[in-house]
Amino acid sequence: MAETIIEIEQLTKVFYTDEIETHALSGVHMQIQRGEYVAMSGPSGCGKSTLLSIIGLLDTPTSGRYQLNGKEVANLNFSDRSRIRNQEIGFIFQSFNLIGDLTVAENVELPLTYRSGMPVAERKKRVQESLERVNMAHRMRHYPAQLSGGQQQRVAVARALAGSPSILLADEPTGNLDSKNGEAVMQLLKELHDEGATICMVTHDPRFAAHAERQIHLFDGKVVAEGELSHLMAEV
Amino acid sequence: MNRLVQDIKFALRQLRKSPGFTITAIVTLALGIGANAAIFTLVHAVLLKNLPVSDPKLLVRVGDTDDCCVEGGVPDQRDYSIFAFELYQHLRENTPEFESLAAMQAGVGYAGVTARSNKPGDLPRAERGEVVTGNYFQVLGLQPYAGRLILPSDDVQGAPMGVVMSYQAWQRDYASDPSVVGSTFVLNTYPVTILGITPPSFYGDRMTSAPPDFYIPMVMEPNFGPGNPTSLLHRRDANWLYLLGKIKPGTDLKQLEAKMSASLRNYLATLPLYQRQDRQADLAGAHVVLTPGGAGIENMQQEYGVGLKMLITVSALVLLIACANIANLMLVRGMARRAETSIRMALGAQRARLIRQMLTESVVLSCLGGLAGLLVAYAGTKVLLAMAFPHAQSLPIEATPSLVVLGFAFALSLLTGLIFGVAPAWVTSHSQPADALRGSNRTTSDRSGWLQRSLVILQAALSLILLVGAGLMAKSLSKLENQDFGVVTQNRVVVHFSPESAGYKQEQLQGLYDKIINDLHALPGVDKAALSLYTPLEGNNWGEGVYIQGRPEPGAQAKNGASWLRVGPEYFDIVGHRVLRGRGITAQDTATSLPVVVVNEAFVKKFFSNGENPLGAHFGISGMESVGDWEIVGVVSDIKYNDLRRPTRAMYFRPLLQVAHTKSQTDTRSLYAGAIMLTTKGQVGNLESQVRRTLANINPNLTVVDYNTFEAQVRGQFDQERMIARLTLMFSLLALMLAAVGLYGVTAYSVARRTPEIGVRMALGAGRGNVVAMVMREAMLQAIIGLAIGIPAAWLCVRLVQSQLYNVGGHDAMVMTGSVLVLTIAALLAGLIPAQRAASTDPVKALRTE
Ligand SMILES: Nc1ncnc2c1ncn2[C@@H]1O[C@H](COP(=O)(O)OP(=O)(O)OP(=O)(O)O)[C@@H](O)[C@H]1O
Ligand SMILES: [Mg+2]
Repeated sequence: MAETIIEIEQLTKVFYTDEIETHALSGVHMQIQRGEYVAMSGPSGCGKSTLLSIIGLLDTPTSGRYQLNGKEVANLNFSDRSRIRNQEIGFIFQSFNLIGDLTVAENVELPLTYRSGMPVAERKKRVQESLERVNMAHRMRHYPAQLSGGQQQRVAVARALAGSPSILLADEPTGNLDSKNGEAVMQLLKELHDEGATICMVTHDPRFAAHAERQIHLFDGKVVAEGELSHLMAEV
Repeated sequence: MNRLVQDIKFALRQLRKSPGFTITAIVTLALGIGANAAIFTLVHAVLLKNLPVSDPKLLVRVGDTDDCCVEGGVPDQRDYSIFAFELYQHLRENTPEFESLAAMQAGVGYAGVTARSNKPGDLPRAERGEVVTGNYFQVLGLQPYAGRLILPSDDVQGAPMGVVMSYQAWQRDYASDPSVVGSTFVLNTYPVTILGITPPSFYGDRMTSAPPDFYIPMVMEPNFGPGNPTSLLHRRDANWLYLLGKIKPGTDLKQLEAKMSASLRNYLATLPLYQRQDRQADLAGAHVVLTPGGAGIENMQQEYGVGLKMLITVSALVLLIACANIANLMLVRGMARRAETSIRMALGAQRARLIRQMLTESVVLSCLGGLAGLLVAYAGTKVLLAMAFPHAQSLPIEATPSLVVLGFAFALSLLTGLIFGVAPAWVTSHSQPADALRGSNRTTSDRSGWLQRSLVILQAALSLILLVGAGLMAKSLSKLENQDFGVVTQNRVVVHFSPESAGYKQEQLQGLYDKIINDLHALPGVDKAALSLYTPLEGNNWGEGVYIQGRPEPGAQAKNGASWLRVGPEYFDIVGHRVLRGRGITAQDTATSLPVVVVNEAFVKKFFSNGENPLGAHFGISGMESVGDWEIVGVVSDIKYNDLRRPTRAMYFRPLLQVAHTKSQTDTRSLYAGAIMLTTKGQVGNLESQVRRTLANINPNLTVVDYNTFEAQVRGQFDQERMIARLTLMFSLLALMLAAVGLYGVTAYSVARRTPEIGVRMALGAGRGNVVAMVMREAMLQAIIGLAIGIPAAWLCVRLVQSQLYNVGGHDAMVMTGSVLVLTIAALLAGLIPAQRAASTDPVKALRTE
C-alpha cells in the first residue's frame, strides 16, 4: 500500500559565493511515503533547511534526482513549480511568516487565491474548516500582530492545510515558541498525522523528534544512520 | 567643531553607501530648485525689475494701456495712455505735483534712423531712435556712462542738434570707441553731435528685445520722429507720446489722477472731435489712469504677464512635487533605518545625538542638491531667456538667477528634507527600543505607508493638472500656427527699409520706387518685387474710420473702422491675396490717376453686408466730406495681418502714391513705403547681400532695417505662444518625471520592505504573474486615486488658462484623455520595474532574511 510521495537520489546542492563552494548537500538519498511523519535533525548548518527547500520546490538541486508523486521535477519551469508548490506542498515556517496586513482568514485563504478556478464559496469553506481544525476559527478577523506566537503558528498550520497538500513541510515550527506552545503545535501536527497527513519536519529538539514515526539524521550534507550520528557527534 | 566635521564626514559616508537614494534626492532637488530659480529669474526680470534709476518709487506713468503708436479718435474705454504733444504740454503745465513730466515716442518700431559715423569708410547703418523731451533723463535720474545726457537746453528751437547713444549700440556697432562721444554723425542725412552714452544698465524706458540706439530731443522730431518726414508735433488729433514723470514726494496719486483727468477733459473740449453733440459722453468719460513708472512703460510686462504668471504657478507645482519626492525619499530612508536606529538606542545611543546625525545628513544632502540646483538654474535661465526673446539684439535682461529666488527654493527644500528626514528618527527615538525590536518580527505592516502613498497621489494629481495644461497650450499653439492665414510664404522675403530716413522728398518717391523695383527685378533669381507700407504679421497696423458715399453718417458708437495700407503692383501676388472681383493695384495707379482702392472680403462683409455691389462704390476716411475720395475697383481674398486669435479685419489697399483729396496734408506720411517683398525662383544664395548692395547703390543711406524670410516673419508671431507652450510642456514633463520617480521610489521601497512577504507568497504558490499583479495593483491604485483627484481638479484649473487658448475648449476631451494616458503609462513604467524585481525574488533567500 505504501505510496512513495518523495523520492530523492544522489541529491547535491552546492552554493557558490565569492569563489567559495559550500557543499550544503552532498549525495542525499531518501524516500517519504504517503501518511508518513518524518522528523529531520542534525547539527546547525548540516543542510536541513536546504533539503527542505528543495523538497518544497523553492530551490533546485545542483545534481541528483527528485521525484514528487512519481514525477520528475528537474525539468519543471517556473510556473509549473509555483503551481505544484501551491497544490502539493504546505509550508510551516519557524517564524510563522504570516502577512501582517492580512487578517487570519485572509492569510489562510492566500494559497487558495493563487489557485485558478476555485469558487469563492469553496475557498471560504476550506478556510473555515482549516481554522476550525487548528482551533483558531474564533480569531478569523484578527490580525497576526494581535495573536500570541503559538496562535500565529496554529494559523500558519491552518494556512498550510487549506490547500490540502500532499505533504506538509515544517522547518523548526517550534523554534520561536516556548515549550508549552511548542508542545501544543506538536500535538496538532501529531493529530494531523493521525488523520492521515504526510509530514516532514525539521527539528533540533529530540523530544519533538520523538513524535515522528521515523527520524532522518543529516550530517554534513549527508543522511546518516542514527547510531552513526552519535558516533560522528562524539568525534566532533 | 570637531564633532561637526565628524558628523559631516559620517553623513557623507552614509550618503555614499546608498547611491540610489542620494542621486535621486540630489537630482530631484536640482531640478526643483533649478527650474524654479530659472522661471523666477525670468519673471523677476520681466515683471518686477525697476529701471536703474535713482528713485523708482517716485516715477509715475500717465496711462495704463499699451496703445501704440500713432492714434486719433476716442481711445478704448475713453482711457488715455498716449498723448499729442500739445496735450502733453497742457498736462505738464497744469500739474505742479510732478517735479518733472517727460514725454517719449510710443512706437519704436521699424521706423528708424540711418546713422553714419564720421569715420572714413564707415557705411550708414539702420538704427532705432526714440524721440524724448529734454527732461527725459532728469526724470529718470540717470548718469551718463560717457559725455553727457540730453538736457532741457538741447530741446529748444535753434539748439545745436545733439543726441545720446545707448551703451549697447556703442558697444555693438562702434566698438566702444571713446572718440564717438563728441563726434558728429550723419543721422538721416543731418549732421548731429553725439552728446554722450547712456549707462550700461539702462535698456530704455520699456522692456523690448530691440531697445533704442539713439535718444533724440523732441525738437528734432520732424526729422526723426515716427511721422518723419512729416511732423506730429503740432498735430492736435494724433496721439503718439507716452508720459512718464517724477512726482514730488508725498503726492496723493488718486487726487492727482482725478486732477489730471479733469485737465485732460479741459483740453479735449477744445478739439473738433469732442465738440460734436454725440461725443459729449465720450468727453465726459475721458480719463487717465496713473500707474507705477518705476519699471518704465510696462507694455511687455502686460503682454507677457498672464503667461508668466501661469509659468510661475506651473513651476511652483513642480517645486511642490519635488518637495513631495524629497519628503518621500527621506521618509523611506528614515523608516528603513528605524531598525538600525532602535538597535543603536538599545546599545545606549543618545537620542539627541541620533537626531543630530539625521539632521546633519539632511542638511548635507540639501546642500549638495542646492549646489546642483544652482547649476541647473544658471543653465536653465540661459535657455529660458533664449526661448523668451529668440530674436533679441541686446537682451534687456541679466541672465543671472537672483539670490533671493535661489535662497527661497533652497530653503524650502532644506526644510522639507529636515522635517521628513528627522521625523522618522524622532518617532523612533521616542518609542521604546524593545518595541521596535519586537515589532519588526511580528508584523510587516508599516505606518508611514499611508503618508508616502498620499504624497505620491498628490504628485500624480498635480502632474495630471500640469499635463492637461500643457496639452491645452500645445493644442492651442498648433491651432494658431496651422490656421490658414491666407498668406503664401515659400520663397518669399521681406525687406524693411526707410526712405524717409534716407532723406527723400515726397516728389522724389516715384522715381525711387521705380528704380528700386527695377533694380531688384534685375537680380538673378528674383521673380517678383513689390513695395508696401507694411506687411502681414509684422506687428504693424494703420486704421481709420470709413465713410461710405450714399450712406448716413455713422454715429459715435458705430464701428466703421478698417485697416489699410499702400501697396505696389505685384504685391497681392507675392503675399497671396487673390483678386476675386474687379482688379488689383497696377502700375497704372499713379499719383495722378483716378484715386482707387481694393478691399478685402472682410471689408465687403462689413460694409456691403446686404449684397450691394462694392465695385464702383466710393468712400473716404476724413468724415462725410471725404466720401467721394476713392472708388473701389477690386476685391481680394482675406489675409490676417494682425491678431491671429481674431477674425480677419476689414481692410483696404491703396496705390503707393495717391494722396487723398480731402485733408491731403495728413495723408503724406504713408507715402513712404516701409517694406519690400520679393519672391524668388527657388533658393537664392546671398540674396540678402545682393539686396543690400542694390539699395546702397541707389543711395548709401537706403539701409536695410530688417531682412527676413516671410516664413520667419510669420513664425515670429508665435514666439510668445510657443515659449509659453514649450515651457509649460517642459515643466509638466519635469513634473511627470518627478512624480514617476516618486511612484517608483515608493513602490521600490515597498517591494524591498515586503521581500520576505513576497517570499512567503511564492512559497505558498504565488507565480510571477501574481507577484507582478500585486505590486502593480498597489502602484496603480495610487495613480488611479491621483487621477480621480487630478481629473476634476484639472477640469477646474483650466479656467485659469482659458484666456490663453485659441480655438480650444478648456475641457478638451482629447487633451484630457491624452494626459490621463501619459500619466498612466508613466505610472505603469514606474511600477513595472520594481514589480519585475519583486517577481524575480528568490523565495529561499527572501525567507532567510526573516
Ligand atoms: N544561499 C546560500 N549561499 C551560500 N551558502 C548557503 C546558502 N544557503 C545555505 N548555505 C550554506 O549551506 C549550508 C546548509 O545550510 P542550511 O540552512 O541548510 O543549514 P541548516 O541545517 O538548516 O542549519 P540550521 O539548523 O542552523 O538552520 C550552511 O553551511 C550554509 O552556510
Ligand atoms: Mg535551518
